[in-house]
Amino acid sequence: MKIDFPHRQFAHCESGVTANLLNYHGFPCSEALVFGIGGGLFFGHVPFFKINFLPLTTFRVGPGGIFSKATKRLGIEVVKEKFRDPVAAEKKLDHLLQSGRPVGAQTGVFWLPFFPPAYRFHFNGHNLVVIGKEGDDYLISDPIFEETVRCPSEDLRKARFAKGALAPKGKIYYIEKMPEHFDLPSAVIAGIREVCRGMLKTPVPLAGVRGIRLLARRMTRWPDKLGEKKTLLYLGHVIRMQEEIGTGGGGFRFLYAAFLQEAAGILENDRLLELSEHCTQIGDLWRDFALLASRVCKKRVTIEDSFEELAQLLNRCADEEEILFNALATEIK
Amino acid sequence: MSKSLEYELAEMIIDFCNVEDVAPEDVSPETALIGPDSPFGLDSLDAVEVVVAVQKTYGVRIGGEKTSREALQSLRTLAEFIEQEKEEGHLDA
Repeated sequence: MKIDFPHRQFAHCESGVTANLLNYHGFPCSEALVFGIGGGLFFGHVPFFKINFLPLTTFRVGPGGIFSKATKRLGIEVVKEKFRDPVAAEKKLDHLLQSGRPVGAQTGVFWLPFFPPAYRFHFNGHNLVVIGKEGDDYLISDPIFEETVRCPSEDLRKARFAKGALAPKGKIYYIEKMPEHFDLPSAVIAGIREVCRGMLKTPVPLAGVRGIRLLARRMTRWPDKLGEKKTLLYLGHVIRMQEEIGTGGGGFRFLYAAFLQEAAGILENDRLLELSEHCTQIGDLWRDFALLASRVCKKRVTIEDSFEELAQLLNRCADEEEILFNALATEIK
Repeated sequence: MSKSLEYELAEMIIDFCNVEDVAPEDVSPETALIGPDSPFGLDSLDAVEVVVAVQKTYGVRIGGEKTSREALQSLRTLAEFIEQEKEEGHLDA
């Protein structure tokens, strides 16, 4: 049994899954639009919260946030469930598929056999859509891949119940009911407002532009405090989170620029086109940072020659983002 | 391989990414550009280097939705992407 599900490949798993599900349910949309309405853009640096022994640095909101907020803002009714028992979780999934419903699932990457071995790392925040079952194989629309893929049920079970940070606990989610009408402008404004708040008005200095400046300050101390080996590990982790293969090295800023371009049309506000341009330029700055950082990691330049410049680039990103999001907040007042 | 765009790209990658012991003529345009099967030995950290090199050399920006992953699959896909962007006039100022 296979649901006739229009699979599209995207840059990022959760916004891709959300866009594909909305498209299936009759709301054609781009990944950028979903990302923006879901308030996907963010920055956070939490030195004391470690993933794989490395401090958390993120360029987008946490797992599940984009789907939850995008659907809520569009007035779509969704169901989300977690399970303790893998057998019950599989039964429920099979039941939903039998009833013809594509089902989103959070999984660990490590257990998914269709990922090339080199990319199977311990990350539990991956999202995909299960669109059918044939024999003992599930049929899967994973937006990271060009085509739909197959996954043996035992492997999907392990991926759905992977242990560790962000453990998915069998989490599934699906669309229960679409609204008769969408208030797209309001959804777009709500998404922009949330991102502006997250980047400018956070109560703790770990997030938003303050978080970027915190990372810049701490980074200059890494070589002395951590030594070369650990410094390079920390730095490599930051740029892997920023690049996430597919976003072009701009830490989701290019994707957000594409959203602002669409938002300009939806809100009939040409000023957003200028701000989209600015967002692209900020993506370029982030990419300059990633480029220099990757050269440091590859030992093409030395730590001593580069860390001041890396910190300066981060501070420039923070300054420019402060200007951008203040301007954006003014536009949607 | 003749002096095609794929060949030029291979030369550019070898230069920008400091790849040693690989000649452009040894690389098939179809093989993976990044990852364990890459003849250049490129990993995800090198992806940014290639993206910037393409923008500087050809004035073509890689970085929208899904284009980065698609374009960076092989020398062939990268060449096709650059040619398509040029045809459509999507050149970076």
